[in-house]
Parts: sequence; C-alpha cells; structure tokens
Amino acid sequence: MARISKALYLTILMLLLYVPIFILVVNSFNASKYGIKWTGFSTKWYEKLVQNDALIQAALNSLTVSIIAATMATVIGTLAAVALYRYDFKGKKFLSGMVFVSMLTPDIVMAIALLIVFITLGISLGFISLLIAHITFCLPFVIIAVYARLNDFDKRMILAARDLGASEWRIFRLVILPLILPAVVSGWLLSFTLSLDDVIVSAFVTGPGYEILPLKVYSMVKVGVSPEVNAISTILLVVSLLIVIASQLIVRKDKTL
Amino acid sequence: MKKLILAATTLVMALSACSDNKAPETVSTAEEKPQKAQKVVVYNWTEYIPADVLTAFTEETGIEVEYATYESNEAMFAKVKLLDGAGYDIVVPSTYFLEKMRKQDLLQPIDKSKLSNFANLDTDMLNKEYDPQNTYSVPYLWGSTSIAINADEVDADSITSWHDLWKPEFSGRLMIMDDLRDMFAMALKVAGKPLNTSSEADIKAGYEELKKLWPSIKVINSDSPKTPLIQGNVDLGVMWNGEAYMAQQEMGNVKFIYPQEGAVLWVDSFVIPKNAENVENAHKFIDFMLRAESGKAAIEELGYAAPNKASYALLDEELRNNTMIFPSSEDIAKGSFHQDLGEANLIYEKYWELLKAGK
Repeated sequence: MARISKALYLTILMLLLYVPIFILVVNSFNASKYGIKWTGFSTKWYEKLVQNDALIQAALNSLTVSIIAATMATVIGTLAAVALYRYDFKGKKFLSGMVFVSMLTPDIVMAIALLIVFITLGISLGFISLLIAHITFCLPFVIIAVYARLNDFDKRMILAARDLGASEWRIFRLVILPLILPAVVSGWLLSFTLSLDDVIVSAFVTGPGYEILPLKVYSMVKVGVSPEVNAISTILLVVSLLIVIASQLIVRKDKTL
Repeated sequence: MKKLILAATTLVMALSACSDNKAPETVSTAEEKPQKAQKVVVYNWTEYIPADVLTAFTEETGIEVEYATYESNEAMFAKVKLLDGAGYDIVVPSTYFLEKMRKQDLLQPIDKSKLSNFANLDTDMLNKEYDPQNTYSVPYLWGSTSIAINADEVDADSITSWHDLWKPEFSGRLMIMDDLRDMFAMALKVAGKPLNTSSEADIKAGYEELKKLWPSIKVINSDSPKTPLIQGNVDLGVMWNGEAYMAQQEMGNVKFIYPQEGAVLWVDSFVIPKNAENVENAHKFIDFMLRAESGKAAIEELGYAAPNKASYALLDEELRNNTMIFPSSEDIAKGSFHQDLGEANLIYEKYWELLKAGK
C-alpha cells in the first residue's frame, strides 16, 4: 500500500512538473495558430522563427547575459562564501544578514533601486547595466548555496592541509573547491535560471539596444503570443537540458578523482 | 504584477525628485557620440508594428530602428518618468497614460509641418479630450472593449445593451477581463453613472452592479481572452475587438456587439518624450507610419484599426466592412475613452480588490 501511494505521489508530482512543458513542446509542432486543437504536424513555426531576426537576437542576448552573469556571480559568490566561512572580520554578521535581505527584496524594489543607481552614476542602460543587475540578484543565491555546503565541512581538513605545508591558494584549490564543487555548480545553475527568466528587473535596467527574450515574450500580450515562442522555448529547453547534463558530468567526473 | 508596478511608479515619483539634478548627465553622455549611425529608438509592445514596415522604413531613410518593448503601460510610464523622458524617441501609450504623461510634462509637441501625411488621418480619432488639438500625439491604432459572442450558442439579437450581460440565462457562460478600468466603465454605464468619475459613491454603485454580475462569471482572462471563447469554455465575453477578430478567424461564427450605451474605446498614439535625442528621425518615423501602405499593413496584421483614411481605400472590401475592426460612425460617437483619474485610481483599485476577494 505504502509503495503504491508513494509511486502515485511521485507520478502526480512528475506530471505536474512536466506536462505543461510537454504540451509546449508538442504545440511547437502544431500547425494550429492558437494551439487549442491539434491540426497536424508542422515545422512551420520553426521556419518562421528562423526568419524572425528580432526574436532570435533577443534569445541570443538572453543566453549571453545569463551565462556571463551566472559565471561572474558564481565566482564572486563562492569567494564571498569562503570568506564568510573561514575568516573573522568586523561586520561579518551584518554582511551575512544582508545577503538574506537582498535575496528577500522584492524584484520591483531592486529594479527601481538599480535603475536609480545607474542613472545617478551615468551608466547608460544596455548590456552593462543589465549584466550588473543580473549579477547582483544572483549573488545571494550562490553565497547561500555554497555557504550551506561549507557548514557541513570538517574544518580539520583545512588544518591538516596547512600542517602539511599547503599555501592558502593550494588549500582553496585542492581541498575546499573539490568539496564544495556540487554547491558551486548548483549555484551556477540557479543563477543561470534566475537570470534567463527574469522580467521585472530587466524591464527597468535594460536599454533599447539590448532586448532579451522574456521581455519580448511578456510584451506580446498586446497582440497575442505567437507560436514561434513555443518553438524558441523548445530550443531553449534543449539548451538548458544540455547545460544541466554537462554540469552533472562535471560533478561526477570530480567524484571519481 | 501591474499593481506592483503601479506602486513602484509612486515610489519612482518620490525618488525621481532626488535624482533630478543628476538626470542631465545621462543625456550628455548620449550626446557625446553624434557621428553614430542615424537611428530612432521606438519603445512599444512586441510586434505591435509589422516587421516589414520597419524594414521598409530603414531601407528608404537609412535610419535604423531600435525597438524596445514593455509589457504594460504602467511599466512604460515608470521607466520614462525615471529617465525623465530621455532614451526613447517614440513611445506608444494608450489614451489615459498619454494624458498622464502630458500632465507630468514628459512629452514634447509634435511639429505637424514635418508630417506630410497628417491629412491621411481620420478626423473621428483626432482632437480628443486626452490631447486636445493633438499637440503631443498622433494616433496609431485604436480599438474597443465590447461584447463578443459565439453566435452558435447565443442569439445575437438578444444582446443590445450592457444590461443584457446581467441576464440570468448567461450565468456561468460569461467571461470578463482582468482590467478594472474597462470593467468599471461597463458597470458605471449600467448603473447610469458618469464614466471617469472620481466620486466614491458612483464607483460604489458600479461595484454593486459588478457584485451582482460576479456569480455569472465563469472565466476572468485578459492575457488571451479569445482562448476560452474558441475552446467553447464560455459563450460570450467582454474583450478587445482584435481578440474577437482573431477568434472569428479561428472559429467563424463570432459576433462583436456594440451595446447601445456605447463601447469603451482606446487609442494607442505615437508621442515623443521630452528629452528624446533623435527628434528629427522621430518625426520622419511618424510620417512614415501615417502612409497609406503602413496603415494597411498594420490593420491586416494586427486586426486593429489604423485611423488612416488613405489606408481604408487599399483594404479588401470584406475587411473594410468588418464592423469588428471598423465600427460605424454612430458606434464610435457613442463610445467613450478612459481619462486619467489621478488619485481616484485608488478607489477603483479598492473596490476591484473587494470583488476579487469575493466580498
């Protein structure tokens, strides 16, 4: 009985998670414009998509920003988490508290705040402002993911490494980093996802020269979301899947070492 | 989401006072590069201007179009306000946001002498109360919010007034949109109160009417109001004419009825923000959009009407006579526009939230 209910529960969970995505993928091959009824298999939305330069450019821009923002947030965030874990300095409590505050700040508040900062500093809105904003809101997630992992970590290993004469850099590279790698990878993935589908902050901090996909799609409510969006979402889904698989491989490879 | 942005807009207004002295700096950084290629920066809804028209404009004039998008008038307003009218050369606000931007001194007058095609415009859509004399705006597309029915299920003759939606026979078959201004406009008409009222008593009367209608409503949808109608989930609904037009294309027997009290009309207009950098190009762009061919392309692709008499002549007879897109002059005259309500918005918000909370 328990086994059946467990299986049932898992099935329902999986269906809830994946049926919508499955429908989207199926609809990207649906000849019908509104995707309400199945009117036949067609790749015409993909063909139309290829000609829709603006949409493709927006998708590429989105991927560029997400990858760079996630990578930079991961580097900065990992270092910050290690610093918070290993060293004692003035204002440490305050700093780690502020990490949570910035994570819990509503997007809209952060968006307006960032926009005001950019205007005050005279940074023109576009790729750079968007990137800075994305790194900012991704950062706390990386710090928290990595910090949680560090907390389970036996401090004596660092002492042992130091006993054996390792420099700070070697300790970080050969002891700490391998142990926290899964958290670093998941921090990167989390940042990538957050950055890729952010609408609210991006709407405020990007400029006219740099359009990203979520904004374009969200703005389609006026004329109706076109099925090309299903097509490009399917492609992005495949790209994301590849990234997840790649990251799993990185983690696994590391374990065998 | 919209409400958040509205709240944020209020915040912006408070904060922009602090950043005002710094705002000119951004303008000057942009001016440092005058030898850059000619361009015009358009801030608009995604795909709200046919791609072919944009390409034709660039080919003919050599001016690149940078097209940026927003997903609500509220978001657009907040950003233009915060940037103090710089950064964008063309924006396309709806009626009452146009009024709001004009009142807050975010726009610059449009020089009609540079618009050789201004005479193409249909006078039905000019000189409205939200911008008398069209000093600051040139209408691009317009449409209405009214009643769409599935004519297979509902007798078209049984609906002539907004009152008819309250009939018990439509209970559980009705859809409305999540748009408080449109829905209150309908209710205020039914309650016999003036539209655009700021009096709490009037708004409350509208609220009482909506409360009576509430149990009949099956679906509330403003992202894609055509979908429940096409799916057969509802038999009639209040929606934009462009959505009804798309539903008609998909399922055939859809009728769009303009009630005798008049529909709600809206116009999206081109405006030039106060500190736009490419004012000359913005005028060229507007003039290009006023050409007969541009208007025709927009009508055909988007299913909304461009108020362009020269375009009408180029359209198929069938499209030209489709009252879904082109209501009769009487129906237009009966229709009404939303105006900027200022503080009274909050009263509407309050009652709309009460309705949604089921009180």
